[in-house]
Amino acid sequence: MNVLGIATVAGRLIAGEEFGVDSDGHITSHSWLLPDKAELIWGTLSSLLIFGLLWKFGGPAIKKGMAARTERIQKELDAAAADKAAAATEAAEIRQAKGDIEAARARILGEAEEQAALVLSEGRARLEQEIADVRTRTSAEIASMGSRAGDELRAEIARLSHAAVDHVVKGSLDDATQQELIESFISRVGASA
Amino acid sequence: MSDARIEGYARGLFEIARAEGTLDEVEDELFRFARSFESSDSLRSALTDDMIPAAKRLAIVEDLLGGKATATTTQLISMVVGAGRGRDLPAIIDTLVARASSAKNLEVAEVRTAVPLSADQQARLAAALANATGRQVNLKVVVDPAVIGGVVATVGDTVIDGSVRTRIDQLKSRL
Repeated sequence: MNVLGIATVAGRLIAGEEFGVDSDGHITSHSWLLPDKAELIWGTLSSLLIFGLLWKFGGPAIKKGMAARTERIQKELDAAAADKAAAATEAAEIRQAKGDIEAARARILGEAEEQAALVLSEGRARLEQEIADVRTRTSAEIASMGSRAGDELRAEIARLSHAAVDHVVKGSLDDATQQELIESFISRVGASA
Repeated sequence: MSDARIEGYARGLFEIARAEGTLDEVEDELFRFARSFESSDSLRSALTDDMIPAAKRLAIVEDLLGGKATATTTQLISMVVGAGRGRDLPAIIDTLVARASSAKNLEVAEVRTAVPLSADQQARLAAALANATGRQVNLKVVVDPAVIGGVVATVGDTVIDGSVRTRIDQLKSRL
């Protein structure tokens, strides 16, 4: 028997209601479904009393617990919302960083291409200048070598010519020629007065 | 050496040669010795080197001229070399020759040839030079192989060059 049953029986006893008892010792009533009027009244009152007591003494605790639970849940919701916002912010930052990385990558690639183009251009210009210098220098050296070779050749020819002249002249100057030269000189000087 | 000292030595040698009565011969020998002195580096260094004792320098002169030149010529050269004036010997002798020529109213004519001139050639050349310059000349012939051929005559400031050497040099210049 539950508490309600006990309270009902107790109410009936207090009201002087008679109960029957079967052979097994069980209390019997006049209806299998509805209690007696007194039982109904007392039961209702008891129930109201109990509910009233529960409401009076248990309600605040329940309310307090519910409020605490609500507050805790709210906190959890707030924390979750904050976490969500933080995650969203972080995601935004990541997306921004990713975007920045892409921009930086594009910028670096662009700068690298510009730098490469500049280096290539400068390299070509420098190479062309060096080629021009080498050509100029080579032409000058060739001209110098040609001039030097010409000078050396002329000097050698002159030296050989001098030697040949000395050799030929001295070889042809026999005594008769010497005397002829002297006589010619005397005649020329004598005639020059 | 100063000009005055050269002049002094030349005058002294001139007077000695004239007093000895061998001026023409001595003058000629001295002139040829001076030209040899100028053309020979070894002779010039031997007679002008102060590190060589004077006695040795005089012995060299004696070896060179003994029996080949008059005693007066040898002694005059020895005197100059012994006095340590060997370096000025050509200038002294040239001054002496000029003085001797001037005493005879002659102009010194230095003639360089590759081969010796005969007496006849010297006489005709002297006459030709006198005719060309208008002055009587005292001919001094120097045999100089560097001339190669022909004649180079110098009378005062006038040079008459008919040498093969000069023609060869001109030809080399053109080459």
